[in-house]
Amino acid sequence: MAAILVIEDDDATAAAIMAELDRHGHDASRAADGDSGLDLATREAFDAITLDRMLPGLDGLTLVARLRERHVTIPVLMLSALSDVDERIAGLRAGGDDYLTKPFDFAEMAMRVEVLLRRREQAEAVVLRGGGIECDLVRRTVKVDGEPVRLLHMEFRLLEFLMRNRGEVMTRRIIFERVWGYYFDPGANLISVHIARLRKKIDRPGRPSPILTVKGEGYLFEG
Amino acid sequence: MLGAVFVIGLIAMLGVVYAATARDLTARSDRILHAAAQRLLQVPADQLPDRIRYELRRDRAGFNYLSLIAADGTPVVGNIRLLRPLPPGLPVDVEGGSRGPLRLVALHTREGETLLVGRDISLLRDLRRTILETLIVSGLLTLLCVTTAAIWFSRAPLRRVRALQRASREIAAGDFSVRMPIAGRHDELDQFATTVNATVEEVGRVVAQVKGATDAIAHDLRTPLTRVRATLNALHHRPHDAVEVTAGIRQATADLDLVLERFAALLRISELEAGRRRAGFRTIDLGILVAQVAELYEPLAEDRGITLSVATRPWAVDGDDKLLFEALSNLLDNGIKFGRPGGRVAIALVEDAQGRAIEVRDDGPGIATGERDAVLRRFHRGQDMQDIPGSGLGLSLVVAILHLHGFRLSLSDAAPGLCVRISLPPASA
Repeated sequence: MAAILVIEDDDATAAAIMAELDRHGHDASRAADGDSGLDLATREAFDAITLDRMLPGLDGLTLVARLRERHVTIPVLMLSALSDVDERIAGLRAGGDDYLTKPFDFAEMAMRVEVLLRRREQAEAVVLRGGGIECDLVRRTVKVDGEPVRLLHMEFRLLEFLMRNRGEVMTRRIIFERVWGYYFDPGANLISVHIARLRKKIDRPGRPSPILTVKGEGYLFEG
Repeated sequence: MLGAVFVIGLIAMLGVVYAATARDLTARSDRILHAAAQRLLQVPADQLPDRIRYELRRDRAGFNYLSLIAADGTPVVGNIRLLRPLPPGLPVDVEGGSRGPLRLVALHTREGETLLVGRDISLLRDLRRTILETLIVSGLLTLLCVTTAAIWFSRAPLRRVRALQRASREIAAGDFSVRMPIAGRHDELDQFATTVNATVEEVGRVVAQVKGATDAIAHDLRTPLTRVRATLNALHHRPHDAVEVTAGIRQATADLDLVLERFAALLRISELEAGRRRAGFRTIDLGILVAQVAELYEPLAEDRGITLSVATRPWAVDGDDKLLFEALSNLLDNGIKFGRPGGRVAIALVEDAQGRAIEVRDDGPGIATGERDAVLRRFHRGQDMQDIPGSGLGLSLVVAILHLHGFRLSLSDAAPGLCVRISLPPASA
């Protein structure tokens, strides 16, 4: 369970975000404006923050910049009705760790929070293990059941991303954003075929694939 | 304004000519008066009255006036009298009653008498009046000629200005097909008209797109929204059927997702068309970009049994790599999606007689000539493509990205299949 601060002025949106985080087993607290949000974030220990870009009083961009000035390194997911790519860049430059445009799918919001939490936990990880796979982040090598497997650069990044977020469903969109670094919808099949290629290299006969397809949602690394 | 300056200048010039001429004539007359007076002052005092009488007798025409007045003011001899004393040595004009105007100078003799020497200046006055009249008449004639010439010569430019005004009124009324007339003289008016025409063309293009988009939005967003409304209405009337409620909510969510997806795409297009994204421009290598896009789509092509071939070379262009990647991804995705299963798709940087370009070719069914323009319009879906997923906004997005870069997209027959060509402007190639 993680402590998450929801800084959101709209009551209905805040309630929906908190309910979704609660469903994922997190403890969510709310601040309804920028000033009280900054106050709470600096006073209490949170594991992650969801931050509305437009807030009464202190706006989201200034708030996250103030947090970083005070060396508060809590991961921040910025939520905004502004979809312009420049706005996304501005949000990330100010110190946000991820940026999601409204209206969003609440499950995807929760998934992005999980990604941020995992990244924090595993920042120091050198080798990721699971499902019989050993992924060495320093040597950039992969072993399946102790046997070395040659992966292409993007295949390695895809596997690393899924393993880092083990147990969480990752949508095609977030996979495309985090692995390839592009912020557009790549279409339904593109990520599927990359996953299929990766599976061909890491799956072993007689054992279910560690990468599961969650129909209509995305992919999940189990193991 | 120019006319007023000309008239003022003309009046000033003629005034100066008149004043200079009048001053010169008066100065000549004064010199004659002084010479005559000096001559008489040389005559011994006792002979002076006789000399004056002699001079007066000799002047049959009666132009000259002479008088000698004693120191006590008594007239000694002469044909003029003074009503008031004159400053000595300074010629003055005297309106001489029946005699007409005089120019008169008074000088003192050594014996204290006053010698008056005068000349009739009627002729001088007549001459000055004649000069003034001549100058006024010639001035008026000049003015008339110049005004006539100005009207004559400005008729053509005025006609052009009126034509420009007419065109601008029609454009302001919303007719963006109208263009400012260009005379082909390469003058300021032509330069102005060319600039305005380019602006009108761009505004017309944007307005047409906005109108097209508005129509398309009204049509295409209405469909899923109507479906959502119908679903909710049905749920409202049958609230106890849990299976139907779940299915209805899922359907409504899917329909709303489609609406949101289309909105998001439309917003991106308008951002791009507003030209605000040039901030991300830098020098990029198109060759590397094309190779990366091909690498991303190669598994998808393989999945459909399509052979994807890539031909790149290092080409530096100014652009936004993320946006160009998105545009090229879209084209390659279309090529693979609409190409022939088991066929070929090629992405290549080409340089030929038409210049440098990026080409994406497939050997699928292609697009009929009549439908090629339509596919670039928003929300357009091809006749046989209704069961293939997509919002119908992909190519509009590609066009918007390419337009931002100054690149041009054209569709042609690859016989068989479709050839999408992105032409690069010579400057950025």
